[in-house]
Amino acid sequence: MAAVTIKDVWKYYGKTLAVKELNLEIKKNEFMCLLGPSGCGKSTTLRMLAGLEFISSGDIHFDDVRVNDLPPRERDIAMVFENYALYPHKTVFENLANPLKLRKMSRSEIVERVRRAAEMLEISELLNRKPGELSGGQKQRTAIGRAIVREPKVFLFDEPIAHLDAKLRSHMRGELKHLQRRLETTTVYVTHDQLEGMSMADRIAVMHEGVLQQLGTPSEIYNHPANEFVAGFVGEPPMNFLDVRLERSNEGLSVVHPAFQLTLTDAQRHLLENGNAESDTRIGIRPDNLLIESGDGGSLDIAGSIFVTEPLGGDMLIEANLDAETRVMVKTKIREMGGPGDPCRIGFDIEKLHVFNKETGVAYF
Amino acid sequence: MASREIVRYRSPTRGAVQAVTVIFLIVFLIWTVLPLLIMLVSSFKELLDAFQLPAVGDWGDVGVMFDFKPTGRHYVELFTEKHFATYLRNSLIASFGSAAVSVSLGAMAAYAISRAQFRGKRDLLFWIISTRMAPVVAVMVPLYVIFRSSGLVGTLPGLILAYTTFNLPFAIWILKGFFDNVPYAIEEAAQCDGCNRWQAFRLILPLVAPGIGAFIVLCVLFGWNDFLFASIIGSGGAKTLPVATAELVQPVKIQWGSIMAAGVVTTVPMMFLGLLIRRYLVAGLTMGAVRE
Repeated sequence: MAAVTIKDVWKYYGKTLAVKELNLEIKKNEFMCLLGPSGCGKSTTLRMLAGLEFISSGDIHFDDVRVNDLPPRERDIAMVFENYALYPHKTVFENLANPLKLRKMSRSEIVERVRRAAEMLEISELLNRKPGELSGGQKQRTAIGRAIVREPKVFLFDEPIAHLDAKLRSHMRGELKHLQRRLETTTVYVTHDQLEGMSMADRIAVMHEGVLQQLGTPSEIYNHPANEFVAGFVGEPPMNFLDVRLERSNEGLSVVHPAFQLTLTDAQRHLLENGNAESDTRIGIRPDNLLIESGDGGSLDIAGSIFVTEPLGGDMLIEANLDAETRVMVKTKIREMGGPGDPCRIGFDIEKLHVFNKETGVAYF
Repeated sequence: MASREIVRYRSPTRGAVQAVTVIFLIVFLIWTVLPLLIMLVSSFKELLDAFQLPAVGDWGDVGVMFDFKPTGRHYVELFTEKHFATYLRNSLIASFGSAAVSVSLGAMAAYAISRAQFRGKRDLLFWIISTRMAPVVAVMVPLYVIFRSSGLVGTLPGLILAYTTFNLPFAIWILKGFFDNVPYAIEEAAQCDGCNRWQAFRLILPLVAPGIGAFIVLCVLFGWNDFLFASIIGSGGAKTLPVATAELVQPVKIQWGSIMAAGVVTTVPMMFLGLLIRRYLVAGLTMGAVRE
């Protein structure tokens, strides 16, 4: 039995469709990430789980209880909001104690639980301060503290670390993941940052325009994107997409582009034949899966020229022109690549190639 | 954020403007404070002393105004023979009572209007404030008839009700602005914590405290200063200070000493109230207006 079951859920705001026929099962103690750009319906979905939005049609079950008509306080959930939503007139201690007070716990138990949560989040020294006197990171910890003191059935996170600076954010990713494993509580985490989803979640549900695009582990999402949207949204820097034609040749099936020609593997050929692929298709390749050499004397197949180089410290990002209209992004460890206009050679790691239907965006592989 | 300080350079014009400002403020201060001072001093004078005035233009003789033997007779008289203790009590009950009723009903209504979306919300809001647009005299006659037939004329509850009809729309409008500025997420967090709607409302009430404080002052002042309602609806059983003071003006023997003392009794409590929550008042009246 899944901890949370979302069945055929639709959500309209007036006549605007926000979530379309969503089906999702979240397992007990799983860390599920709802990932997508803004306006994709992920926050709406979370708020429907919390009971802050009505469900237009469909059902949501927690274990086997239908919660559609239950108010938030009867759902045994705890939510962390994007802007923290702390009570500004109450101290950190009172903020954390509020959910416990409402459950009529004894004073000693409240103190003990708040102390434990504060210790876990390293905010013990801040208990007498008010939110106005806290930094962003401390506020965020307080908001998380208010969620964990109660030991609810489900945690709901709505972009909890989106407003922190980059360094703190990467620190909190680790902390949150650790916390979730330690507390062993079913978690639904909404974010638009694919890095957060990839690094923290057990499974990711990618959403776009109210529709679930793909559900899978981070590795499945990254290595086998179901469609062009997922392929382009997940991964940084984003995947390169090129329009090509499929052509038969003596060696088998090839993708043909004005600037190059690649022969596909037998396995790839079978997948395309089984999928009745049109000859006009689109290929995708991640910057990590392109190879590059400087100069024009190398062994790689495609001659190009460098447009710009972006050193990132360890790695280097290179935008290279294959021909007048085609530019690709390559990620490499090579340090000396020359400057704009210098020649280079580029090759594909053919095993890592993705092919999409040009009309529907659905991936053949 | 850029500095908001306005750069100022010294110039003859600026100097002149400054001098004019100071002179204006001095004149203004004398204009407002002097009558109050004379009232205060006269309330401690016997009738004969009160009319010891220097000749017009004779500034050297101003001292005679302060040359008297102070007496508390008028105050004693006021509170023993003229029942001002009752009138003071009536004034306090009517104004604070109306403030309490208006603020509790107003806060709940304002919260509901601020949070809920429903058809005709704008019309409702306009209707609420339009009741405040009518001049008091226009509603006086119908109100009197209604109060008369409900047996509310001459009673304190009647007076409180009358003030509330005018204060409540005001309360709803002021407090709605304050509730609008409380982020909805705070209430959603409260609901997730386990609050029901009523508990969430109580939880955010301290966040609108400046608004409530400001409004209570305005409300109390309205009731305290009112003469028309008090004289018509409160007449008899619920006489308040302004009405009682006016009655001291009799055709034959005007009791100046008592009138001055009554003026002091009426003015002083409100002055203290103003001083006490001056900061609230300023914060309250401006904070609701500006979104930060």
